[in-house]
This record gives sequence, structure tokens and C-alpha cells, in this order.
Amino acid sequence: MVAIEVPEVNYTEYSNRQLVAVPLAVLVLALAIIGGWYLVTGAPANLGLEFTGGVELRIADDGGDVEQQIETAFDREPDAVRSIPADDVYVVTFRAADEDPEGLANDLSAQADAAGLSTSAIDQVSPSFAADTARTAIFGVALAFLGMSVLVFALFRTFVPSIAVVASAFSDLVIPVAVMNLLGIQMTLGTIAALLMIIGYSVDSDILLNNSVLRRTGEFYESVSRAMRTGVTMTLTSMAAMIVMAIVAALFGVDLLRNIGIILSVGLCADLMNTYLLNVSLLRWYKFEGVKR
Amino acid sequence: MLEPIKNNWRILLLVVVVLGATVALFAPQFGPQTAPGEDAAEAQQGITNLQYGLDLAGGTRVRAPLLGYTATEVDFDGDTPDDVARAVADELDGVSARDIGAVPEETAVEVTDPSVSESEFRAAMDASGYAYDDVRSGVTQETRDVAQSVIEGKINEAGLSGGSVQQVQSLTGEYFILVEVPGEDRSDVIDLLEERGTVQIDIAYPTENGTAIQEEVLIQDHFEDIGTAAQSDQGTGAYVPVTVRNTAPEGEQSPAHGFQQAVADRGFASAYNTNQDRCDYSENPDDVSKPCLLLTVDGEVVNSFGMDPDLADSMASGSWATDGGFRLTTTEFSEAQTISINLRAGALPADLDISGQGTSRSISAAQGENYKNYSLVTGILAVFAVAGMVFLRYREPAVALPMIVTALAEVYALLGFAALLSYPLELAVIAGFIAVVGTGVDDLVIIADEVMSEGEVNSKKVFDSRFRRAFWVIGAAAATTIIAMSPLMVLSLGDLSGFAIFTILGVLIGVLITRPAYGDILRRLLTVR
Repeated sequence: MVAIEVPEVNYTEYSNRQLVAVPLAVLVLALAIIGGWYLVTGAPANLGLEFTGGVELRIADDGGDVEQQIETAFDREPDAVRSIPADDVYVVTFRAADEDPEGLANDLSAQADAAGLSTSAIDQVSPSFAADTARTAIFGVALAFLGMSVLVFALFRTFVPSIAVVASAFSDLVIPVAVMNLLGIQMTLGTIAALLMIIGYSVDSDILLNNSVLRRTGEFYESVSRAMRTGVTMTLTSMAAMIVMAIVAALFGVDLLRNIGIILSVGLCADLMNTYLLNVSLLRWYKFEGVKR
Repeated sequence: MLEPIKNNWRILLLVVVVLGATVALFAPQFGPQTAPGEDAAEAQQGITNLQYGLDLAGGTRVRAPLLGYTATEVDFDGDTPDDVARAVADELDGVSARDIGAVPEETAVEVTDPSVSESEFRAAMDASGYAYDDVRSGVTQETRDVAQSVIEGKINEAGLSGGSVQQVQSLTGEYFILVEVPGEDRSDVIDLLEERGTVQIDIAYPTENGTAIQEEVLIQDHFEDIGTAAQSDQGTGAYVPVTVRNTAPEGEQSPAHGFQQAVADRGFASAYNTNQDRCDYSENPDDVSKPCLLLTVDGEVVNSFGMDPDLADSMASGSWATDGGFRLTTTEFSEAQTISINLRAGALPADLDISGQGTSRSISAAQGENYKNYSLVTGILAVFAVAGMVFLRYREPAVALPMIVTALAEVYALLGFAALLSYPLELAVIAGFIAVVGTGVDDLVIIADEVMSEGEVNSKKVFDSRFRRAFWVIGAAAATTIIAMSPLMVLSLGDLSGFAIFTILGVLIGVLITRPAYGDILRRLLTVR
């Protein structure tokens, strides 16, 4: 039987600069991707239906050439048609029309009926409501992040270790958003939930590490490797659950669960890097140089 | 005797919670509330008491604002609301005072006629001479409350069980009406909502230039009692028995007297002498030979009828108003039913803007059933993945097995809570459950590693001190998760509040009940006695 052994990393071989370089480079790259996205598309990510407004229909695939029918059934070009084989369903998305958003869902559902397509679900989001949702979502994430930061500072009451946790949590949030852009995953309410969940999950291993180094007796490297043994197991376990959830939900076409799964998997990956490179080097600097000053 | 209980109270607490969850899930006393005319077995979905929301059971959710504009901080200048409404209505073309609402408690005046634009309303407010602070889109609190109860009434009258209506406020302060009806498809629900359902009775009467119409002889407000639709006892057709109100404020004519007066003035008594005399509105609406009563719903004439000679006579002699009862007849039973619903539930005080600024979500029952099965499979596989990882890492069933069992107990307790609160399960809630398994196992890993580090656990004391250390980390981590999730709980972001509520609940159950219990289990298994 294969066993998972958390490898021991010999941190003494690397300087703090070297350790920090990798996560910082990735963070800068991620920020550059998001910034570039904003400049090119006018939004920091691919916004989904909930943030742009529009109509999404799920059309049952009862054999036959449904895909062809979908192409001819509507008087507007669908913005996306996605097939979900496990569920025998096509998901057809229409962005909100700027000129005339009125009655879009009614028209489309009538057109689908007229073409003999059976619709199993209709989602309609108005553009004004979508804009409102986007604002609310950004506000929510910002509030959660702020709350987390305040709590972390209250728990450790020292600047460097606290800022290390907050910085790696920030990076854990930014990297999945950049990866989403690259993979073409849309920002939906599900991904917002996943981002908030990352705040919760990623801080776990950071707190564990800080606690082990600051509050417990023992030599620095020993404390780090002890925290790492536990922390890596935790993160890998959560990642396993999330990867399985993402794969299964993608097969079945349950978008919400799929998106949460993907984002959390990426976020936890980023967390491994940030915790054991960024956070460790900041802590080491604090422990060996920062405290003396 | 008390010693074993004292030593193992954490495990016992977990057992109690699991038993409690079992009771909440399966005992019929905790079954879902039944809708009128539904028995307990029908209300229950599946073998448990769990309720399934829109995603998992199918149904329609509509979220839309009420159309209108409201002037705030209006100085009523001592005038009655009716006077204010009339004064404002006079400044607007083709708007009756019924479409203007003046609410002194909120110092607000609103217009609910969708054809009036914001600038027109501003102009009318300025022209009416009442000072006001500003005009915002939306209607007054009073109108929203009325709309909510009207929609509730409509849903109940139409016999749709499990429907709910709420008011929600967005971050920008705009109010929306949120309607959820399980098991119904989009078009049915929207038809029900969009019908403003204004029922009124007009009189069509012959003049030299063809048919003339006296409008609003009777409107919704005028009815004192509205019966349920009934099949006519002779021949085809159906009717709704109604009674017209015979009370009115001082110095005003009662609706019953008003109606009686109108019927007498238009000469019903002389036109209808035998049972053979019929209203001919349906044949030649532009040139009727006798006066007719017209039943109109949302401005469309749904039926026209003459009058029974006895009834016409009693109105002409003025004796009818004291009793005030008559029957609204229709040709179809379903039509009578609609009229009864519209009369009882009343009209929506303002239009719901579903197609413009509304948001709706509709899922067929079959799709819901699929989602239910898929999310179950997803959840089970995710738990297996976690279990696999834990076994691979510890290779010791004594550590790993209780870990899996504890994590499952946590989810089970959460399901119990959902049944107890009758909180409908949605996809987002399932995602919350999976997240709880993830964080739960994380914390159990912390406990296991901490307790087993630094050699043998050879006494309760050593165990306890290590457990307490582990608990500091768990507590801190739980607190951050709760903080991170709490904005979602209160912000109106649709399904996500369910996700947040159950993640937070799961973390709380975990920290307070299941994780300490796991510590105890581990102690029993590891402590060298």
C-alpha cells in the first residue's frame, strides 16, 4: 500500500529571498493576468450570468439532433451552447441584450417550445440586478477578508506573523481568480462562495504554522516541519475532496458544485505554496532577525 | 456510577446529538408543515423529514421589484391622504386617484401607474404644490406589504402548497418581492403573478349613438363577502355568490346603494320583464338593445349578463341594498374560479416588473430529482476521497476510522438541524455539507497529529495538555471560517446564504461537539492504562 509521507524540506539551504521569490513571482503574475483581463475585457474575470444578466435554458437532449435544432430555434444567436452528456442536457446561454431586455425569457422559452424542445430549467437575470449582485459580492468578499485580517491580528498580536497570514491569504484568493480566467471558468455566485471558503481553509494551515513556531517551545526548523506534517495532510485531504467533487459534478453538469470544487482545489494548491514558502520565510526572518531589532 | 459519565461526557454528548438528529429526521412530529388540504404523508418528501428546495425538488423562484415612484418626506399640509392623492392625480394625464397612494405614516406619495415616468411624476408633484424631499424608484412600505399579502393570497387561492413570498432588500436599498413556488413551472407562476387581477363591474346601456358604458359601478373594495365558485344548479354555467357592502363613511353613499341607484337609473327594471329577456351585448356590443352588466377582469370583458326580473324590481324599488346579495354568472367553471380568486385575493397594488428588472429561476421536477441524486453521489464520493487520504496517511484504523465516523456524524447532525428548522436543502447547502466534511477532517488531523506527537501518550494529563494545545488552533481556524462566511449569511446573494448558514453551523457543531468527542475517542484508544 502506498503511504503518504510528507517530505521534509531542508529550508536551511535556501535564503529568505530565494524562498519568497517564487510565491511573489506567482502573485505578481496572477495580478498581471487579472489586470490585463480588466484592461482588455473591462472586467477582472469572466463574469457569469449572475453578474452580467441574461437567460440560461437547460434543454433536454432526447436523442435526435437537438444541437442543430437549438441553432435554428431562436431568433438570437446563443452566446454559448454546452452539452452535458451525463445529464442528457444542453445548456444554452444568452447574454442580456442591451437594447431590449424586456421579456427575453418569455420569448426564448416560447421559441424553444415552438421548436419542440423541452426546457427543463430557465434562469433569467436582469442586467440591473446582475450589476447589483456583482457589487454585493465584491463587498462580501472584502468584508470577509477584512474580518479575517482583524481576527488574525487579534490572535497573534505581533505584526510580522499576522501580516504573513494575511498576505498568503490574499495571494490564495488572487491566484485562483487568475487561473479561472486562464481556464475560461466564469465568475458566478458559486465561485464567490468558494473564494470565501478559501479564506477559511487557507488560514487554517497558516495559523497552525504560526502557532507551532511562536507559541510552542522547540527549535524553529523542528516546529516548521511538525506543523508542515499536519498542515500538508490537512490540505491534501481537503484537496482530494474538492477534486473529486469537481470531477463528479462536472460529469453530471451540476455547475455550482463543479465551480466550488475547481476554485478550492486551485486555492488549496496556492495555499501549499504560500504557506510553506512565503509564510515560512517571513516567520524565519521575524524569528532570527526581526525580533532582535 | 457518575465517574464513567463524567469521563466520557464528550462522547455521550455526540451520541445524544446523533440521536436527536435521528429523531428530527425521522419522527413524524417533526414532519414538514402541511399546506391546507394536504395530509402529512403528502407533505413529506421521501422517507426523511428533510425539505428540498427549488434546486432539488423543482419549482420556480421569481424576484422582481414593484414598479412605481415614491416622493419622500412629503409635507401633507394637513390635507387628508385622499385629497393629496386626488390633487397629484389631477396633474397627471389619464391617471386615476387609485394609482396614487398617499401614506401619511411614511410621509410618502407614490404613483403605481407604470406609464408614468419619473420626470412626469416629479412635475406632477411640483405642480400639486406639496413640498417633498426627493423622488425614488419603488413603492412605499405599505404598498409592498399589501403586495406581499395579495401574492400570498393568490398562491393560497390557487392551491399551490409550499409557496412563499418575502420582501428582500438589495445592497443599494432597492426592495424586491421574492416569490418561491415549488413544483410549478415558470409560465404558470408568472401568469399568476402578472395578472393584476382587477375585477370590476361596468354597465353597458343603449343610447341613440349606440352602446355607452358606465365604468366601475362595482369594484373589488365594494364587496363584503365573496363566495367560492359553484356549478350552476340549472343547466350549464357557473357563478360566484357575492354580497355588496352596505356601509360607508358618514355622508357618503354605500356601495350597495350606489350600485342599486345605477341599475335603477339605467332602466334594468323596465328592460327585463320575463325570464326570456336576455342581454345581447355578446352579439352586438356596439349597439345593445337593453342595459347589461359587464364583468371585466384586467380591462377585458369576460362575461355580460342581464338581470333576473325580480332582482331588477327589488333594485328599482330600493329594497335590494339592505341585503346586497347577487350572483356573478359565467359560462365556464374555471372562469368563475379565476374571478373568485381575483376578487378575494384582490389586485396587486402595483405591477411586478418581472421581465424588465426581474430575476427568475425555474427547474423542472425531473431536473430537480436528477440534481438530488447527483449531489448525493458527489457528496458520497467526496467523503470516500477524504477517507482514502486519511487511511493512506495514518495506515492505522484506530486513528483513521473514528475520524471518518466523526466527520460523518457531523454531517448527520447537520441534516438533523436542517430537518428541525425545516430549512429547504439546495445545491448550495449540499456544497456547504461537503465543505464541512473538509474542514472537519482537517481539524481531526490536527488533533490526531498533536496528540500523537512527541512519543507515547501515557497519561490522561499528557493527553489533555496536548489536546488543549490542538484546540487553540482549531478554535482560531473555526473563528476565521465563521467570520469569512458571515457576510454571505446576511447579504442578499441568493442561494449562498444557505451555503454560509450550514458551513457556520457545521463549524460550530464541529468545534463544540464532534471534535472534542473525537479527542475522547482517541484518548481511550491511545492512552496506555
